[in-house]
Amino acid sequence: MSQTEEEKLIGEVTAKSYEFGFTTDIDSDTIPPGLNEGVIRTISAKKNEPEWLLKWRLEAFRLWSEMEEPEWAHVNYPKLDLQSISYYSAPKQKKEIASLDEVDPELLKTMEKLGISIEEQKRLSGVAVDFVMDSVSVATSFKEKLGELGVIFCSLGEAIQEHPELVRKYMGTVVPQRDNYYAALNSAVFTDGSFCYIPKGVRCPMELSTYFRINQAGTGQFERTLLIADEGSYVSYLEGCTAPQRDENQLHAAVVEIVSMDEAEVKYSTVQNWYPGDANGLGGVFNFVTKRGLCHRAAKISWTQVETGSAVTWKYPSCILKGDDSIGEFFSVAVTNNMQQADTGTKMIHIGKRTRSTIISKGISSGHSQNSYRGLVQIHPGAENARNFSVCDSLLMTDTCGAHTFPYIEVKNPTAQIEHEATTSKIGEDQIFYCQQRGIEEEEAIGLIVKGYAKDVLNKLPMEFAVEAQKLLTISLEGSVG
Amino acid sequence: MSKFTNNFLAPSHGVELRNEALTLLSSLPVPTRRNERWKYSSVSKLINASLETYKGGEVGIEGWPKEINPNPVPQLEAYRIVFRNGVYEPTLSELPTFKGVVCMPLSSISEEQSKTLFSNKYHKTEWVGALNAAYYQDGFYLHVSKNIKLDRPIIVHHLTDGENVANFPRHFVRIDEGGEAEVVVWTTASQDSSGMCNSLFEASIAPNAQLFLEKITNEEGEIYSFAHDFIIQEADSRFKAHNFTIKGSWVRNELSIVSAGKGTDTIFNGAYLPCGNEHVDNHTTMDHTYPDGTSSELYRGIMYGKSTGVFNGKVFVRPDAQRTNAFQQNTNIVADRGASINAKPELEIYADDVKCAHGCTVGQFDLEALFYLKSRGLDENAARTLLVEAFIADVLSSVPNEALRNEIKRLYSERHHWS
Amino acid sequence: MLKIKNLHAKVGDNEILKGLNLEVGPGEVHAIMGPNGSGKSTLASVLAGRESYEVTEGEVELDGVNLLDLDATERAREGVFLAFQYPIEIPGVSNLNFMKAAINGKRTHLGLEPIKPKDFLTKVKECSSLVELDGRLRDRSVNEGFSGGEKKRNEIFQMAMLDPKLAILDETDSGLDIDALRVVSKGVNKMRSKDRSFIVITHYQRLLEHIVPDFVHVLSEGKIVKSGGKELALELEEKGYDWLK
Repeated sequence: MSQTEEEKLIGEVTAKSYEFGFTTDIDSDTIPPGLNEGVIRTISAKKNEPEWLLKWRLEAFRLWSEMEEPEWAHVNYPKLDLQSISYYSAPKQKKEIASLDEVDPELLKTMEKLGISIEEQKRLSGVAVDFVMDSVSVATSFKEKLGELGVIFCSLGEAIQEHPELVRKYMGTVVPQRDNYYAALNSAVFTDGSFCYIPKGVRCPMELSTYFRINQAGTGQFERTLLIADEGSYVSYLEGCTAPQRDENQLHAAVVEIVSMDEAEVKYSTVQNWYPGDANGLGGVFNFVTKRGLCHRAAKISWTQVETGSAVTWKYPSCILKGDDSIGEFFSVAVTNNMQQADTGTKMIHIGKRTRSTIISKGISSGHSQNSYRGLVQIHPGAENARNFSVCDSLLMTDTCGAHTFPYIEVKNPTAQIEHEATTSKIGEDQIFYCQQRGIEEEEAIGLIVKGYAKDVLNKLPMEFAVEAQKLLTISLEGSVG
Repeated sequence: MSKFTNNFLAPSHGVELRNEALTLLSSLPVPTRRNERWKYSSVSKLINASLETYKGGEVGIEGWPKEINPNPVPQLEAYRIVFRNGVYEPTLSELPTFKGVVCMPLSSISEEQSKTLFSNKYHKTEWVGALNAAYYQDGFYLHVSKNIKLDRPIIVHHLTDGENVANFPRHFVRIDEGGEAEVVVWTTASQDSSGMCNSLFEASIAPNAQLFLEKITNEEGEIYSFAHDFIIQEADSRFKAHNFTIKGSWVRNELSIVSAGKGTDTIFNGAYLPCGNEHVDNHTTMDHTYPDGTSSELYRGIMYGKSTGVFNGKVFVRPDAQRTNAFQQNTNIVADRGASINAKPELEIYADDVKCAHGCTVGQFDLEALFYLKSRGLDENAARTLLVEAFIADVLSSVPNEALRNEIKRLYSERHHWS
Repeated sequence: MLKIKNLHAKVGDNEILKGLNLEVGPGEVHAIMGPNGSGKSTLASVLAGRESYEVTEGEVELDGVNLLDLDATERAREGVFLAFQYPIEIPGVSNLNFMKAAINGKRTHLGLEPIKPKDFLTKVKECSSLVELDGRLRDRSVNEGFSGGEKKRNEIFQMAMLDPKLAILDETDSGLDIDALRVVSKGVNKMRSKDRSFIVITHYQRLLEHIVPDFVHVLSEGKIVKSGGKELALELEEKGYDWLK
């Protein structure tokens, strides 16, 4: 049997099994829990995806089935039963709430402290509001402006329908299906996400965050983002939200892929504040994310992240510095409190000549939490004159938390220069007393000191979020005086 | 895996430990690169070789290879205990007869006493450790009594001599309260020899006691050289270690120190300058389990030719180890195209009132300095030599014993053609 | 205004103040001198409310308020200012934000609105000219990378910003060269007023040539062993402390 005939036959057979096996499910919002090929076919069919994408998903599923859940991270959590999750829910209409009075007052209090406007508080808590004319018109004008420049910014699902050639060309090129256990799982079952394409030479005139906040009601459990900055373009992109995100889904396994073409620059900022569980560590989101960018010649990718949420975080935004003279940056503040566990850091893979990377990681641990930095700086034999500078500091707030540093440095070129420094210290009692002596209360003093400690990273955030992120730090550490 | 140990003979002393290790050996996994601890050091070639333990007796000076001096540091006034292929060489040794000091081959210890000596768990967790515990032929035993200071250092010299030889030296040192000693462990192999030298060194340092340990590896031939050193420090004790790899085709040094009492002071430094296709791996662990300890670590390496270097330094500060002050520095130079270094300095900290820092750098020779030296009339080689000497001087200069320091420097000079 | 009666204080098991008595009236400048280890800096820390010092006996009142009942923040808001011997660095926190937080903390405490940005900036300008603190230092992180003299000037700048009732200068002259000492003293002298009292703790008589005290006290082994006018400082300079024992 020739290859094409075989494929055709398989195609027919699979189409049939779908036709008969799962017809009853098509109209329902949710398919039964469990993961198998049939489920993946259903997801793909529901989304009306092209054949190549289905194949791609199935290949991912096959790879995933042969993988084992990784255990190397410095985190402890009960194993998830991945067969008990439902892998497809159509975006459900959220239960409408008449007014803010019905919203959890804890949640409102936090949003108020963050300085989030009433309007947005309503939107975030799912209160039914009349069409907010401002937002809509803003969104429309954004869309018009972006359209004029040729910027494509839409959901991944939409992109698969409207721009299949772009999606097909780039998806999986930076994070292949086989990359790791959770990336493989995501590749098999991703439901939606965002897609962004910046054409050659275009400098995206606005933070895509603004638009994002207006349009993205809730993110999926297996979200996938694909961002392509064509030659010489620039974009600043912000994902996430400082507002506390409650979510019933325990596992979040997202994938973000960035392609930064010759001389393009991408700034990718994240504020992550998923539900961390209660003070005893019950509940909370497991956030296992794969984020990676590929830099072509003289391209640049900056990852900035402020991580305060999730019960367990496992995340290493990385840069593959393939092109000569490309630049990778990673700026991170990770706060853990109560029973939270975070194992986060970055990988800088230097392949091109004169590639440069900078890593600034600031960990803050409190309560009974465990906060680890894990990073890789890898210099390949051809990476002449590569440079890396890393600083990983840890601040300890209580005597019951832990702060850990696991940097991997692998150098195969004699012209490389790598500098890594790490320090761990307690928040200074002298500093607190000094503030108190000037009339600043202890809690506020700690907030000030912590913000100062994290300043190098906070400064890298887009203006509009820097302020909220600062408040978020203070709120996350409330009541954590050691 | 039984094939690998087919030709290994387990002697008849230390039976209890041996039997335990033999049982564990079959269940412990052989290290592969998938294991984090062995990620950068492959033993796959070794385990496919067919090695044999040496089954003969002592050979004296007649059977000893001409090119190696049984007394490796002639200028050093020291006691000496010598082993060839794991077997004690009494005629080449010079044991101390000093009041309050017991020193003898480990095989002379009674079965009863031998049960009480070792407390490390290496044979329970690592295949390499189980091999040593199961097949060790002999080793060095030293006991220094309370408030006794041994007047001279002891050199423990083990030699691997012959093809496909497996030998497993195993050493134990106990320093009682207020006692002091200095031990030099010198590992050599003769030309054209091959196989494995898998040694274990355990020292237990009582309150306010002190041990200096210098370890030198200078092996010809093609030897897989494993060394695991396990040190327990009780309150207020001092431990100072130096590790120099002069030569060796495949070297793995593991140093594991537990601070098991308040106020311990630990210094451990090392240097590695591999050439050709050599592989040198240094794994260190400093485990602070009690308050008020200080530790300072400095490892420096230059990778020449197509050699590979590995540095893994772990510092643990356990929840009760408040006011710990731990410092770690690892500095590397990749000198030639084809050479590489894999470094992983780690901090795991579970106490808050601590000061811990580590730094790790990888770079090349300081080109500015090189140029400066050349502009003063030095040629390239002389200038580089000067920089290399300066680079390892910080490690070398803290070796307390001058004769030893000079000999190490001489060996490096000879190997690297320093003027 | 400030009344200290029979003050005893210790650090750990070590009793340092052993029955200290001192009264400071409004507008007065009291210098406290004494050999190393006599308890001078302890007195400063105890008045400001540092937690590692335990008061075992005695009373401290400021305008009728019992200071010992208050924590460090509350004392600061009541108008106690301590110029630190070794000012603390707070990386990443700008000097101005720090002052704004301090002023607004006090204002909230008094039931006032936060200070208006314009008023704040006017005040910053006034106070920084007082100690010739240039804009570069004002905008930098609190004391970070400051020279010894700059740190001390920053302390006096903060004092002026916070407008305290009682200012305690703890060894403000130590580590200063003559020029810096002159600038710092000038700032302090400009702040002298009939409502503000000063306690100037120093080891050297030199400072008192620039900040002329109304009273001089000698502290030795946790007690005031001799009090007098400004001429006492000169006497101490000549004879040392031994003759007092």
